[in-house]
Amino acid sequence: MIRKVSGAKQIAAIIKKDIIAELRTKEMVVSMFLFVLLVMVAFKYAFGDSESFSDYAGGLLWIAFLFTALLGLNRSFVHEKDEGCLEGLLLAPVDRPNIFFGKMAGNFMFISIVEIITVPIYMILFKLSIEGSIALFISAIVLSNIGISTVGTLLSTVSINTKMRDMLLPLIFLPVILPVLAAAVVSTGGIMAGVAGEKLANVFSAMKLLIAYDILFLLVAYALYDFVIGE
Amino acid sequence: MEKATKLLFAIAAVLLLTGLALAFLVAPQIVIQKDGKDVSIFSQKIFYFHAPIAETSLVAFVIGAIFGALFLARKERKYDFLSFASVELGFVFGALVMWTGDIWTRSEWGTWWEWEPRLTTYLILMLLYSGYFVLRSAVSEESSKARLSAAYSVIAAVTVPFTFFAIRLIPSVHPIVFDSSGAKMEHSMLAAFLVSMFGMTVLYVAFLLLRYQTLLAGEEVDYLKNKLGG
Repeated sequence: MIRKVSGAKQIAAIIKKDIIAELRTKEMVVSMFLFVLLVMVAFKYAFGDSESFSDYAGGLLWIAFLFTALLGLNRSFVHEKDEGCLEGLLLAPVDRPNIFFGKMAGNFMFISIVEIITVPIYMILFKLSIEGSIALFISAIVLSNIGISTVGTLLSTVSINTKMRDMLLPLIFLPVILPVLAAAVVSTGGIMAGVAGEKLANVFSAMKLLIAYDILFLLVAYALYDFVIGE
Repeated sequence: MEKATKLLFAIAAVLLLTGLALAFLVAPQIVIQKDGKDVSIFSQKIFYFHAPIAETSLVAFVIGAIFGALFLARKERKYDFLSFASVELGFVFGALVMWTGDIWTRSEWGTWWEWEPRLTTYLILMLLYSGYFVLRSAVSEESSKARLSAAYSVIAAVTVPFTFFAIRLIPSVHPIVFDSSGAKMEHSMLAAFLVSMFGMTVLYVAFLLLRYQTLLAGEEVDYLKNKLGG
């Protein structure tokens, strides 16, 4: 007799699987971390000793994060496909949207871990500081990460099912994620500079946009995942 | 070409030519005060074509997404064809928006490109839908091609309003013709604009039907080829 496992347990099982695989290989977090450090070294060469670096600090941070996330997102499904694990997941009595939520939570976690380590290093390397509220800064990053992992998981499932595989992901992921990039840059940049008044209102409208984006794309992913992952 | 399509093309031609005549012969030349002198702005005439094309391209993308969603719900081949045809047309109209916009930008602002919200939005929109065509060409199996591109057409359409608002976190210099108080133009100008807009929409529907028929014919040809064993 097959016992129906609850949705939360299904999601938890997929997250657990991803964590165990990551702990064994340490592939995703380590390569993402090294990549983001290398990008920051490249910033140093691009900007030299420029005084105005702090004006662009928010934007550059998100460019680094976005490309780093792209690296990890590709990995997360190439793995599943190559080892035949995706077929296993599809055959298992798991609801399709729960596969999405499990994978998305895993990606969210790995991206967040890399960012938690990277942000302080970035601050130290470029002599930056957060003038505004730290809680607000963290919530802006968390909201952006939810958007990145939601759209990233959905679209990496699309790209893995094509001939181009990981070549396709940047082409479809970057234009869809652009609103998140813009809102993340405006909000984190504003908070780092400690803006007040009208500019602070802009920070809040950017964060509202992030919340709306996250909610809507979670719904879209929930509705579409069944079609995207394959028959 | 079916009779209905031919008729639609004829209606579109009449409307667009009327719009052209109204724009250049009837609608008054815009005159503004500059350094105490009256300066007439001829370049404003492009608005009668630029704005209707922009509106049509957005309509085409939205209709593409609706047909995409219908395909996912009903799994009927015709919805995939209609969705693909509509996105394709949206892309063509989008390219025309950027082209006509560019001509205006050059004559009015003196530069070919300005990182202005509406221009930027359209650039991103074009990149977004370029991804649609790359995705389509990257899947060889017909049913997954239809399924994945239908899903992407929905995702892309959901992204558009967010792009629109996200870009506006930075202030704009693009002229705003319509706001909450209504249209800021004279009646004859509004007439020229509306005729043009209606004509452009009819042209879109005509092209959509034509493209749909060619896609159906293409499928028929493939079927016949297979039957012959080629």
